Amino acid sequence: MNPTSTPPTSPACATCPVHNLAGLKRLGVDMADWDYVVALAGNPNVGKSTVFNNLTGLRQHTGNWPGKTVTRAEGGFEYAGRRHKLVDLPGTYSLLATSTDEEVARDFLLFGRPDVTIAVVDATRLERNLNLVLQVLEITERVVVCLNLLDQARRLGIEIDDRRLARDLGVPVVRTAARYGEGTQALLQAVDEVATGRAACRPRRVFEEPPVLKQALNSLVTELTRLHPDLPNPRWVAWRLLDGDQRIAEALRDGELPGPSATARQAGAAAAVRGSNS
Amino acid sequence: MNRSTTTDVDRLLQRARDLRWQVGGSLHDHMAEAIYAEAARVADRAVTRPGQQPRFDWDRTLDRIVTSRLWGFPLMLLLFASVFWITIVGANFPSRWLASLLVDTLHPALKQLAAGLGSPGWLSGLLLDGAYLATAWVVSVMLPPMAIFFPLFTMLEDFGYLPRVAFNLDRLFQRAGAHGKQSLSMMMGFGCNAAGVVATRIIDSPRERLIAMITNNFALCNGRWPTQILIASIFIGATAPPVLAGLVSAAAVVGVALFGVVLSLVTSWGLSRTVLRGAVSTFSLELPPYRPPRLLQTLYTSLIDRTLYVLWRAIVFAAPAGVVIWLVANVSFGGSSLAEHIIRWLDPVGFLIGLNGVILLAYIIAIPANEIVIPTVLMLTVLTARLTGVGEGTGVMFELEDANHTRTLLLAGGWTVLTGVNLMLFSLLHNPCSTTIYTIYRESGSVKWTVVAALLPLAMGLVATFFVAQVWRLVAGFG
Amino acid sequence: MSPAPASLTTYDPLTALAAGLASLALLAWLFWPRRGLLAVWKRFRRASARVLKEDALKHLCKVEISGGSVSLTSLAGALQSSQNTAAAVIAELQDAGLIEAREGALRLTAEGRRYGLGIIRAHRIWERHLAEQTGVAEADWHELAEREEHRLSADQTEALAASLGHPTHDPHGDPIPTPDGEFVPHGGQPLGTFPVGQRVRVVHIEDEPESLYEQIVAEGIYPGQVIELTGMTNHSVGFLADGRPRQLTPVVAANISADLLARDAAIGAPPGPALPTLPPGEEGVVQLISPLCRGAERRRLLDLGVLPGTRIRAEMRSPGGDPTAYRVRDSLIALRRDQARHVHLRPAGTTA
Repeated sequence: MNPTSTPPTSPACATCPVHNLAGLKRLGVDMADWDYVVALAGNPNVGKSTVFNNLTGLRQHTGNWPGKTVTRAEGGFEYAGRRHKLVDLPGTYSLLATSTDEEVARDFLLFGRPDVTIAVVDATRLERNLNLVLQVLEITERVVVCLNLLDQARRLGIEIDDRRLARDLGVPVVRTAARYGEGTQALLQAVDEVATGRAACRPRRVFEEPPVLKQALNSLVTELTRLHPDLPNPRWVAWRLLDGDQRIAEALRDGELPGPSATARQAGAAAAVRGSNS
Repeated sequence: MNRSTTTDVDRLLQRARDLRWQVGGSLHDHMAEAIYAEAARVADRAVTRPGQQPRFDWDRTLDRIVTSRLWGFPLMLLLFASVFWITIVGANFPSRWLASLLVDTLHPALKQLAAGLGSPGWLSGLLLDGAYLATAWVVSVMLPPMAIFFPLFTMLEDFGYLPRVAFNLDRLFQRAGAHGKQSLSMMMGFGCNAAGVVATRIIDSPRERLIAMITNNFALCNGRWPTQILIASIFIGATAPPVLAGLVSAAAVVGVALFGVVLSLVTSWGLSRTVLRGAVSTFSLELPPYRPPRLLQTLYTSLIDRTLYVLWRAIVFAAPAGVVIWLVANVSFGGSSLAEHIIRWLDPVGFLIGLNGVILLAYIIAIPANEIVIPTVLMLTVLTARLTGVGEGTGVMFELEDANHTRTLLLAGGWTVLTGVNLMLFSLLHNPCSTTIYTIYRESGSVKWTVVAALLPLAMGLVATFFVAQVWRLVAGFG
Repeated sequence: MSPAPASLTTYDPLTALAAGLASLALLAWLFWPRRGLLAVWKRFRRASARVLKEDALKHLCKVEISGGSVSLTSLAGALQSSQNTAAAVIAELQDAGLIEAREGALRLTAEGRRYGLGIIRAHRIWERHLAEQTGVAEADWHELAEREEHRLSADQTEALAASLGHPTHDPHGDPIPTPDGEFVPHGGQPLGTFPVGQRVRVVHIEDEPESLYEQIVAEGIYPGQVIELTGMTNHSVGFLADGRPRQLTPVVAANISADLLARDAAIGAPPGPALPTLPPGEEGVVQLISPLCRGAERRRLLDLGVLPGTRIRAEMRSPGGDPTAYRVRDSLIALRRDQARHVHLRPAGTTA
């Protein structure tokens, strides 16, 4: 993993002027002609909506209460001259589509294929939040982990080695305290780097399959990659198939998966994807 | 080409299906374990915890207090009583100010302006006496309490106290087959039922959420409190010695509100055991850490998200209702107005349930907002009793400054103590206002449950008032 | 008192009261759940000719799988109808070419077998649906599926199977016949046929009749459980399940089928104490989540990070006595006693 891909998250940035975010233009609900689609995923009550408001200048209701955002909220922002459409997904504990919220979040990541996914995590409950992050990383590799609620963590005396975390996960990690606007600049920069491909994401799809499933999964993955060499997440798809996830089976059957390849999108075919998810 | 891919996919899916027989049913368990194991490994490497526990853990201490057997309930009662008290007291002045501006000053001024411009009477009646006045009424009654209640409530929410309330009260709601968080959507319903229905979003279990939506109407909303207070002081307070009158009428109103809470629990119980017996139900309630609430942000978001949202919807429904109210009073045939025809027709039904045709018609045409029920009742009473010297003219809603005048007017309209008692009951137990009905439809996405939520309280109200009326007349020696 | 309007000249509160009460009683009589006229009428309609026919085919299929034979009397018993009715059903099925009488016994034709297995498939898929996708109590599954199996079309059954991820077994452990009519029987034997001291694995629990099934459910027996037989008399079958001794009457025990296991097979370590026994302020380690916790409820627990090996600490109990807040992976989560009882803790002092 290339250490330079980790965005600058030195303590100096914690003192960045909050109200003078260089290069950020909040667009509110104006989302016309975006260059990139950015998704916001995370557990309930980790401050996703606050991050959303910071970036778009909108005022989504944020409560200290899990599950405020029930439907998808969308907004726009412009950074470094590039326009982004930001989609706030409902907060979920996992992506297994066992509830409507999870289905909405999962489907958007899988079929909407955002250019960047910001995974907001609660720094004070890293372990449980990583459960979701690891699942997100199985679906898409273009992820920026936003280590939020640092103010809370500091209060509790919890310290987090974000470089270590970035190395272990293989994606950029940014420290933020969204309630106080802290770290927004670094987050924007990381998102921009991942969106433009300047920062490489090499997620280590790390967790090991339990031995009983390994064989079955491997055999499905082999067949999937033979069938669709450009499928970005064969192991995850194999797992869902093995779990009898009918939505995934249908998507494979009618060609919704794997969808347009990454190269096709970079060549400018992204319009098709936008059309299908707007 | 395409065809061969399809069969390839089918073969793959078939293979997956075969493999499912081998791996068995606990795949989900295995994967969850594997992911969490990895999450724990990664987190362990990255996180350094303080060497020793801080001597004083704020969150834990606070939690101990707010959920303790001794302090939990008293604290809760104190907090919510304060919220309601601040709302009622604080809204009093701005409400009166708004009413005097919008109703007493602006309305006549607009009428004068219209007359000056030479607009026909029916047009200014329709638009100003109808649409404008209904809207102005709703705004002046509704806006101030909501602009106070919602920020206070949002502040408690932002701080993290509300989940603790759900935690404290869950046992009660569990017995009724509901979710502890229903206590909060209900509390919100005391502000406005439409907002209460939206608040049920925090309940993530489908069955419990539906129950909370259907029973939210039993929380006596802000628009119905003035009706309750007025009628209680005119009819119930008057039965007591003057020293106790205030106390008795206050007790009556609180009694009706508590009766609503009890009914909401009983209805939840019934629903969860009959029609909603099979719906999916999972309980989960996370108690988030406390956070210092941010005053300005809270004010802003609660104003935008809740107050204005609800107000806008109410206005959208109130304006056309005003037009209808004006029309029924002013369109006449056969020597009397449409309203009188309908009232004559509704009178027997009204009588059977201890009310009268005026009240029933007012509830029908004032369905968009409970706030305009009393003004409509007064206007219609003047119209049907053919009183002179009171009111603002045909089809113009009004209220009287003095409760005694209102009392005289209502007595002239044939009201009795029974009418008062049953109106209080009916004001609690009738269909939700159209804003709420529409919100239930938006939130549940189901016509069926919207109809149930609209008709169930109405049916309960008709049954309750009917029996109260008959027993009352038997005891009081009717005829 | 205000006078009654002119149109109500005959009004009298007593009469009105009586009429009101009578109409309430009438409504209750019509719509009372389960016992009201409407419910009874629905049940009556259910027992239509087609339902009888399908139930007969189902019965024939089940008997054929277990290797028995069907007589007129046994069929009448299974259909809970008179012998006359049963005979009429048989005649009808024979005319339709679904069954044939050979050597005095009734047998299914290939067509009849396909039809019967289709009904069984619909029944078991529906039970699975109730277990996984609804909150219906376990004891009600069978009765509801009995009704639904006659209503589901083949297409609906397949759509439901797909949404469930093509399940292989119903929640009682019965294999679900495939759409092509393939059927792998569970192959267990009744519990009473094993010698004392034998360890066996439960493979199937018969869900009929309901009263017996409820007793088994109440004992916490589930498919896949390893149990050890401890004693057998004419009046009771004793065994060890999840580390607790239990007793059932032979009639009830006959409805549990089990597979032979090696004598030293690992019997499910007796589960440790259930989570609700953890006093506030104490910490424990999760041993397992009981298989009786299924569907959405189980997945929610897993998603929250309640897994074997997880450290869990009881923080505080609601002043109402339930729920209790537990600290799991740094989060404070309230669980009701009903859910927490499915989570078992490692017994104090064990590390594995």
